[in-house]
Amino acid sequence: MLLELNHIFKWVSQGGSRVFLLKDINLQVEEGEFISIMGPSGSGKSTLLNVIGMLDGFQEGEYNFLDESVHSMKEKNRSQLYKEYIGFVFQAYHLIDELTVYENIETPLLYKNVKSAERKALVADMLDRFNIVGKKDLFPSQLSGGQQQLVGIARALIAKPKLILADEPTGNLNSKQSEEIMQLFKELNQEGVTIIQATHSELNAAYGSRTIHLLDGGRNNI
Amino acid sequence: MIRNYIKIAVRNLWKYKGYSFINIFGLAIGITCASLILLWVEDEVNFDQSIPDKDLVFKIPTNQKYDGEWRTFSIATPGPLAAALKAEIPEITKSARKRDQSSLFSVGEKSINSKGCYADKDLFAILGLDFIAGDPETAFKNKKSIVITQEMASILFGNSLEAIGKNIQVDKETEYTVTGVIKNFPENTSYPFSWLVPFENFTDGKEWTNGYGSNFTDTFVKLKAGAAVEKVNEKVKAILPAKTGDDGTEAILFSANDWHLRADFKNGEISGGRIEYVRLFSFIALIILLIACINFMNLSTARSEKRANEVGMRKALGSGKKQLIFQFITEAVFTALLSGLVSVLLLLILIPHFNALIDKNLSLALTQPTHFLPLIFITLICGFFSGLYPAFYLSSFKPIEVLKGTRRQTAAASFTRKGLVVIQFSISIIFIISTILVYQQVQHVKSRDLGMEKENLIEVPAANGNLIKNFKSIEQELTSSGLVESAALVNSQILSGGNNTSGIEWQGKPENQDILISYRTVTPEFFNTAGMKIKEGKGFGNSQDADSTKVLISESFARLMNTDDVIGKTINWGEQVFTINGVVNDYLYGDMYGTSDPVIYYHQAEGADYLYIKPATGVAINKTLKEIEHVLKTQNPGFPFEYRFVDEAFNERFKSEQLVGNLSQIFALLAIIISCLGLFGLSAYTAEQRRKEIGVRKVLGSSVVGIVQLLSIDFMKLVLLAILISAPIAWYFMQHWLQGFAYRIDIKIWVFAVAGLVAVFIALLTVSFQAVKAAVANPVKSLRTE
Repeated sequence: MLLELNHIFKWVSQGGSRVFLLKDINLQVEEGEFISIMGPSGSGKSTLLNVIGMLDGFQEGEYNFLDESVHSMKEKNRSQLYKEYIGFVFQAYHLIDELTVYENIETPLLYKNVKSAERKALVADMLDRFNIVGKKDLFPSQLSGGQQQLVGIARALIAKPKLILADEPTGNLNSKQSEEIMQLFKELNQEGVTIIQATHSELNAAYGSRTIHLLDGGRNNI
Repeated sequence: MIRNYIKIAVRNLWKYKGYSFINIFGLAIGITCASLILLWVEDEVNFDQSIPDKDLVFKIPTNQKYDGEWRTFSIATPGPLAAALKAEIPEITKSARKRDQSSLFSVGEKSINSKGCYADKDLFAILGLDFIAGDPETAFKNKKSIVITQEMASILFGNSLEAIGKNIQVDKETEYTVTGVIKNFPENTSYPFSWLVPFENFTDGKEWTNGYGSNFTDTFVKLKAGAAVEKVNEKVKAILPAKTGDDGTEAILFSANDWHLRADFKNGEISGGRIEYVRLFSFIALIILLIACINFMNLSTARSEKRANEVGMRKALGSGKKQLIFQFITEAVFTALLSGLVSVLLLLILIPHFNALIDKNLSLALTQPTHFLPLIFITLICGFFSGLYPAFYLSSFKPIEVLKGTRRQTAAASFTRKGLVVIQFSISIIFIISTILVYQQVQHVKSRDLGMEKENLIEVPAANGNLIKNFKSIEQELTSSGLVESAALVNSQILSGGNNTSGIEWQGKPENQDILISYRTVTPEFFNTAGMKIKEGKGFGNSQDADSTKVLISESFARLMNTDDVIGKTINWGEQVFTINGVVNDYLYGDMYGTSDPVIYYHQAEGADYLYIKPATGVAINKTLKEIEHVLKTQNPGFPFEYRFVDEAFNERFKSEQLVGNLSQIFALLAIIISCLGLFGLSAYTAEQRRKEIGVRKVLGSSVVGIVQLLSIDFMKLVLLAILISAPIAWYFMQHWLQGFAYRIDIKIWVFAVAGLVAVFIALLTVSFQAVKAAVANPVKSLRTE
């Protein structure tokens, strides 16, 4: 089992009463799954992804990732863990504006202290694979949305994560670009990468092997 | 990794050129300013560095007790003291006398006036004079020997090495033979001179120089290595009372380390000196750097929004907090290094002007490690220090908030930023207030009623040649030309302390009271020439012959005598008895900030050192100078005509105050510029941040003026707060500074008002530029970009 959430609660206090963002979430993810999380705006899709990605905390419950209990971990070890195993893809791409395509993809490797020669090889492979070798010296602002998201995915993949978390990865793209990206996810999943995506679109959800519906912070259907 | 950081830094700097300029340039100004001050400080603290074993070398001033208070005289030791010190105090290994003299030196057709001294042979070793020709052991074997500096040798002989054995005629009378050539003194030397001749040339034939009765020479000593200075000082103090039986005068040790920086004495002890300015300016350098760094921090944190996304993403990609801190500090240090480069350029441009201002000859000399390393060090420290706060601030962003766009500027950050602006402006206002007060004080003293008229008064050295002998005809020729109103001889420079004595007695003088009285020997026209008034009685009349029975006294002297009518009363000086012929108004000499001692005037031309000439009114001064030159050249042939104006000499006395004034003007200006750069950046940022708000307000009908007000008012509050903080601090420091002057201004409240208004005005100008820009922008445009 890759990860397991048991009775996860997350809330904010507003005027003395609790507003639940996540309410009693239980989820088990096996390696190699492709999960789509669906639900209306504000239902907690992003929050759930951020909790799984360890970018956000929660108040109650247990979270085990590769048999390690994330909830009792220190910040530093947690970041060590997600650095090692998790890659993020964002709706707004979140590429670093001042870095070129090449440098953006390379950045996670820098934080993993990968040697220069190896970095070069890995980034070159990735550029090759995504057919963006010719764009490697361009800055994000010089790319189309679909291309930026490709770079975003390449960046998420470069460190060879076990899990990719994608928050509305096609939210800013047109339908053709959208399809390409989803196709890519499908291929990646077939190669063994576990993927969890949050999405509005039934069409995109259909690429997954399993769909989870969220409603107001609670799970109502698996 | 570092390469990656620097790449990002460069791209960011390039992308936001305006901010980068403000950042780099602001810090560069700070570094430049600090470097200039440090160069000056280096020069000051390295004074007299050419003296070997500087710790063991001392000058001997004397403390003299008057009215229960010790007064210290720097050139006032009796002739036999030097020899006695060496003979009687075993720790003193060398001692020498030195008496300054200015003379005319001629070789063939070439003549120069040059300052040098009569000296004992030991002075070579004490001051560590570096002989490049001749032998210090034998240089003074013959009485008519002369040792000259390289510079003087090359002027007189063309080549310094050829000088040995050649003859020089001094004051057109005596021949001296060059027996040594010494290296020139560095510019930062306390007591430089161009030549030395054996001391006997001064003392021979002057019986009075052999006793303890007259203080006429400087004395220098060198101690044995390891000697306990305090103990030796006690022995030195005891020696004069033992010789003279008078414990009202004692000699003291005055270390070569203190000659330049700690030369002020109060009640017989060192009380300070230029060291205070060295400290003050070092402190100011630090402050200027601080406000430059504050700019840097402020702009970096203000612009953090722009970088927040990057920070969030990097964290999501696995960057730890430490790595981010390191990244932002690297960026700051990199930017600081750019500032360092800019400041080197600025320094190259500014140093000549700075030299002109402070009257020194400093150079950047970056190849010297003592210059290069501190510059690098300052730059790195500035970068590190100013990067620290932004680094911690930026790296603390939570990625989830940033990426979701829910992050808001914390109140704490904006509070810190406002606090830093207040600090900057407080410092600037303190500088403005100080500048005004220093200027006022200098002007106050300069416009003080001196009791004499210094304007256009011409001073000519008179000790050499036949000037005194021919004075009667010189005076006659000058006045009959119609270009000169009057001329007179005096035995000392009109503005300086001159000779004094406590040996004058009169009827009714309180017992046991030692009162120091200055004496001047003058020719009759002196009072008219100097623009002084005879208040009671008569002057010396028209008689050109010395009258050794009559004297004139100053008003303060007359008050001391405490009788109704002093005219015709007699006073005694030793065996001599004088009748008071008149009373002259007091005039200011010596310490321009203090009150001068009473004066007694004798009628005597003999022994005069200076000739003073008052030009006729309404005549072009050049014409008068030409006439004087003509008369002096014919009456005193062979001597070049040298002169200066007393008002110029007067102005020169305010050199160190003028320096403080000039520097504080510069600092005030720089502090304001740096602060305004920062404010400019901040207001631009605020305006940008509030673009949408401004757009909405304009759509709702707000006027441009209303929006400018809206944007400016917050900054104005900060400046007002700065005024409240800075006023008492400035008052405290300036009050302390003014305490050092006996004749000083009162601090007026309007000075603070003016400084505050200047700050408000400048800040308003800076802020409103951005505010107006934001206010006149088309609201549709700014709303659409949201």
